[in-house]
Amino acid sequence: MFGYVEPDKPELKIREFDVFRGYYCSLCKTIGKRYGQIPRLSLSYDLTFLYILLDATSAFPLGGRRERCIAHPMKKRFRVFSNIFAEYASDMNVILTYYSLKDKWDDEKSLLGGTGSLALKMAFNKARKLHPEKCSAIEGYLKDLRTLEKNKCDSVDEAAEPFASLMRELFECGHIKDESTRKTLGWMGYNLGRWIYLIDAFDDLSKDIKHKSYNPILCQYDFNGEDVESFKERVRKALNFNLTYSLSEIEKAYSLLDIEKNKGILDNILYSGLIVKTDAILQGRGKNEKESI
Amino acid sequence: MKKNPYKVLGIKEGASYDEIKRAYRELAKKYHPDKYRNNPLADLADEKMREINEAYETLMKNAGGAYQYQQDYDQTYENSNASQGSYSQQYQQQQQQKQQQQSSSQYQYQYQYGYDDEAELERQARMYVNNGNLAEAQRILDKMRNRNASWYYLQGLVFLRRGWYDRGYSSIQKAVNMDPSNFEYRNALNNLNQQRAGYRQNPYYRNTYHQSPDMCNLCVNLWCADTCCECMGGDLIGCC
Repeated sequence: MFGYVEPDKPELKIREFDVFRGYYCSLCKTIGKRYGQIPRLSLSYDLTFLYILLDATSAFPLGGRRERCIAHPMKKRFRVFSNIFAEYASDMNVILTYYSLKDKWDDEKSLLGGTGSLALKMAFNKARKLHPEKCSAIEGYLKDLRTLEKNKCDSVDEAAEPFASLMRELFECGHIKDESTRKTLGWMGYNLGRWIYLIDAFDDLSKDIKHKSYNPILCQYDFNGEDVESFKERVRKALNFNLTYSLSEIEKAYSLLDIEKNKGILDNILYSGLIVKTDAILQGRGKNEKESI
Repeated sequence: MKKNPYKVLGIKEGASYDEIKRAYRELAKKYHPDKYRNNPLADLADEKMREINEAYETLMKNAGGAYQYQQDYDQTYENSNASQGSYSQQYQQQQQQKQQQQSSSQYQYQYQYGYDDEAELERQARMYVNNGNLAEAQRILDKMRNRNASWYYLQGLVFLRRGWYDRGYSSIQKAVNMDPSNFEYRNALNNLNQQRAGYRQNPYYRNTYHQSPDMCNLCVNLWCADTCCECMGGDLIGCC
């Protein structure tokens, strides 16, 4: 996971920001309670979004209290009480982080990947026992992804497919009983996965050119050793369509859900946060660009 | 159990006629079948639209708006292009038109190719696309040898339904290039562009990022006003 799904902070109300952070804390503490302290470091914004979204489809009233925690020992912060969705999101967080670290270790023998995946091994085994089907589905999609990358797949749509399907799997949470709600969530997940995969590929362009590594955008649009900026200029329009269309599909699915709470936060992320991020990265203000300056 | 019509339209109980109408318009735009044309959730959107139509009609009948509702209804009935009034009639008309179009286009195919294999395959593929059976549609498309404009169009629809928007767009673009006079293909392409542009039109984003006056705008506007005045022989800002 990449952490691209964030709210557009300046537009959040302070109350909404508090609740958002409350969910973030709640997820972090749930991971701590279920898996111990080290896996808490794997916490991501994308899974926080999943937690908020799933919780929003249920009518349980929102409750929480101010608490201290290891990361912020001085000041008490608001946290939302955990529920089944927090547990689900925390399990998925552990599974995904484990796979991504293991992938890093297998590919590049990176030290972080090696030690991280070792440290998460126990937690991962526990999570796998709880969600065996989800886990094997995720593993299958990641395998597809690796095969596509190895064969240097030259279509962005095809390359995005495995990760998008993985996200669909994640969003189709078993705790949600209503069939059509689950289907709608799945379509949201699929399109969000596409968006994450493509935005990450665009964000990584300069890095991948430098290291000569695989990137579907370079393959589909026949990168011929030109200047990075002029290449980006050439592909920007097509990618803008692809990304924004995916977002419009997310929005369509979202408007079919019965949202019982957290509407302000979800509206902010889905209507503003994602598109602001898209524009920032397409115009070269992504996180990788900042590093290179 | 029937849902509370006020809740369906997202308004307070006892809302005025105008409020009900405004809410209805807004929602009808949101769940319009055109928007969900290439979307696997089209049936859910249809259902929602039906709910909204029902709620609107109940409210209009019950809330003493009967007279106005009748007027609305008549207007829509008289002007087929009516932008006022209920969308449900427009929707029904559209569905009828669609059916007519389909049957007439089927007739055309038969006329052009006779009961040729290819034409039969194309008919089947179209049917599977409409039913949402994508795997079967793709299998038939792969079987067809004649890669004409309508083949690219159907292939494009399959891609879009699967969520492969880049390929879907370029296939439909290709269909339009091969047969620029075809209304259906051009319509589909326009619809895609509209959907994309429509996303940025949601009020949450638009209000914050497009309509907020800032200092930069202020300066540009002043400069424009000054230039206009100078054109006419006057001057707004003396120093430039």
